[in-house]
Amino acid sequence: MYRESLILIISFFAVSFAGCRGTGDAVTFAVGGAPNEIEFWEKLVNEFTRQTGIKVIILRQPTDTDQRRQGLVISLKAGKSDPDVFLMDVAWVAQFGASEWLEPLDDYIKKENLNLDDFFNIVNLVDRYKDRLIALPVYIDAGILYYRKDLLKKYGYSEPPETWGEFVDCALKIQKSMRKIKPNFYGFLWQGAQYEGLVCNWLEFAASNGGGIILKEGKIKLNLPSNVKALQFMFDLIHTYKISPPNTFTEMKEEEVRISFQRGDALFERNWPYAWALHQSEDSYVKGKVDIAPLPHFASGKSVSTLGGWHIGISKYSDAKSKAFKFLKFVVSYTTQKKLALKLGWNPGRKDVYNDQEVLERLPHLAKLKSVFENALPRPNLPYYTQISQVLQHYINAALSGKLTPEVALSRAEKEAQNVIKRYERK
Amino acid sequence: MEYHTFSELRESYAFILPLMIFILIFVLLPVLGTFINSFFRDISFMQRKFILFENYKQLFNDSDFYGAIRFTILFILVSVPLEIILGLIFALILNEAVPFRGFLRACVLLPWAIPSAISGRLWELIFNYNYGLANFLCIKLGISTGPINWLGSSLGAFLGIVIADVWKTTPFVTIILLAGLSSIPIELYSQAKVDGSNFLQRFHKVTMPLLKPVLIVALLFRTIDALRIFDLVYVLTHGGPGGATTSLSLYSYRYFLAGDFGYGSAISVVLFVIAFILSVVYIKLGRFAELGT
Repeated sequence: MYRESLILIISFFAVSFAGCRGTGDAVTFAVGGAPNEIEFWEKLVNEFTRQTGIKVIILRQPTDTDQRRQGLVISLKAGKSDPDVFLMDVAWVAQFGASEWLEPLDDYIKKENLNLDDFFNIVNLVDRYKDRLIALPVYIDAGILYYRKDLLKKYGYSEPPETWGEFVDCALKIQKSMRKIKPNFYGFLWQGAQYEGLVCNWLEFAASNGGGIILKEGKIKLNLPSNVKALQFMFDLIHTYKISPPNTFTEMKEEEVRISFQRGDALFERNWPYAWALHQSEDSYVKGKVDIAPLPHFASGKSVSTLGGWHIGISKYSDAKSKAFKFLKFVVSYTTQKKLALKLGWNPGRKDVYNDQEVLERLPHLAKLKSVFENALPRPNLPYYTQISQVLQHYINAALSGKLTPEVALSRAEKEAQNVIKRYERK
Repeated sequence: MEYHTFSELRESYAFILPLMIFILIFVLLPVLGTFINSFFRDISFMQRKFILFENYKQLFNDSDFYGAIRFTILFILVSVPLEIILGLIFALILNEAVPFRGFLRACVLLPWAIPSAISGRLWELIFNYNYGLANFLCIKLGISTGPINWLGSSLGAFLGIVIADVWKTTPFVTIILLAGLSSIPIELYSQAKVDGSNFLQRFHKVTMPLLKPVLIVALLFRTIDALRIFDLVYVLTHGGPGGATTSLSLYSYRYFLAGDFGYGSAISVVLFVIAFILSVVYIKLGRFAELGT
């Protein structure tokens, strides 16, 4: 009996560990997203294998950003050789880089003659850690204003408003009129739920008033008059002017905002460029009725968009680094980036694609986006940005819900963010 | 006292050995690892360093941590009693010879069979501001004139999570109590009736004392489970509004995502200690040691 149970145990472990074989000389690529995105990557990988003979295995991740990150953190923390290459949200690049989970790309770039000037300048802002290049942009995001050009025209506006003051007047006027036909019509939809997107939205409001996150020599400043005013304005949009719905701070994330706007329930929408292609799809109510513009700003400031997007990097623990780099180079190549724009409607991380005739003909809005991307504001490029963001999400959301006044919320956020810095800046 | 021969003893140990090894590898070692890790500065982008109680010191100065504890404990205090009371009522009904008993028992089980993440999405849709069922009904029935932002206030979000959890886990309590009820000999009730007792007296003097051990088991399971609440909060409110529904495990998870494994471990250790103390209290209450004799 004793022996039998021992055999059982041993065979149990033999079976469990048999699953942990390496993937040989194939490159493993971790990527997630909507089904059409996965389909795109599968086609792309096949194309790559046809050209180079290098096999690529896609490790499919969920769509949810946090879960994609979780999968990568587990593999990298454990020092696993897979995945070899993966996509990262711009907000984690600093953490991954500072954790030394990413292979520096400088030598490969030199060897393979990749010209970094073809990319947006964000390469120098977010893809470097301690002067070493650790990632390259696959596609870029920045917050933009979508508006109903048909409604603006109908109510006598030739251009979308440029300052928040004009914006509120315009939205109030049209909302009041539209409510007679559509009782659930709102002037302006944006992302206010407690998550990363809220920080991006807040940063745009605050920076368009000359504020933002001020970091200097280990000191963080958030409780500035310009930030308080911007946060008060966000609160007012929901509770005073009531041009943004009451569920803004509970439910409104990208998709909720996009779907609502697409059903024709709003005049203005703040969203990422991905919404453009969907708004123009066949079953969209607003097809042909939408246009884009830079986000409005406060009278004394200028328009600001938060930088988003996904970047590609190679794992430090990869067992197929040079092959992985070949794949990386393929993903950021002109041809692939053009496909990315034409097939998925994504905005290439390469600047030169924005001058492509075919791309501009089919996606004329990209011409407008190029300058928005060039000036997009990155979130603080810190390895512990996530913790700062958690603090911000919590307190900004509390202010939007009316639990705290903007001033109290920002002063508490500043104090806690300072504690975060104190903790992670120690040697 | 019985005596066992050596070979008998060896054989019985051989039977439990696989389970013990399983528990050692998948339960004890990770718990131990978390304990050890909580004494380190284990941050993915910093040098690993032994810092003894530094993580805990910071934890006890962290107002969000107290917020998470407050939410988690309030959640247990409200949701577990509700589940036990409702579960007991359902179990008592289903234990009687009601018509369609088999069908009803299956129906009651249904919410329990749905994974929490999915029932979280379900309730998210019910509470949705624009097209949720709750608002649809309220407006149709004339309870409110316009849509209500159910999850918009701290209290609303808290109650939303409690309702979703009670809906999901009451069946679990029902099943456990039903098993307990069916093990009570019917003769006891007949005898009590002969003695002239009414329903309440029988419930109080027969059902409750005999159901107590099972009730404690249900309480124990539910309390520990409620203590770890994660999926429902993650899906339904993401910890909002303004951090009002951030549970301890969600809080720990966020540090893990951000690469601060040491601090996350310290939070998990606190969670473990609370769970441990609660278990000991319940086991003492249930006097499980006496059950064996």
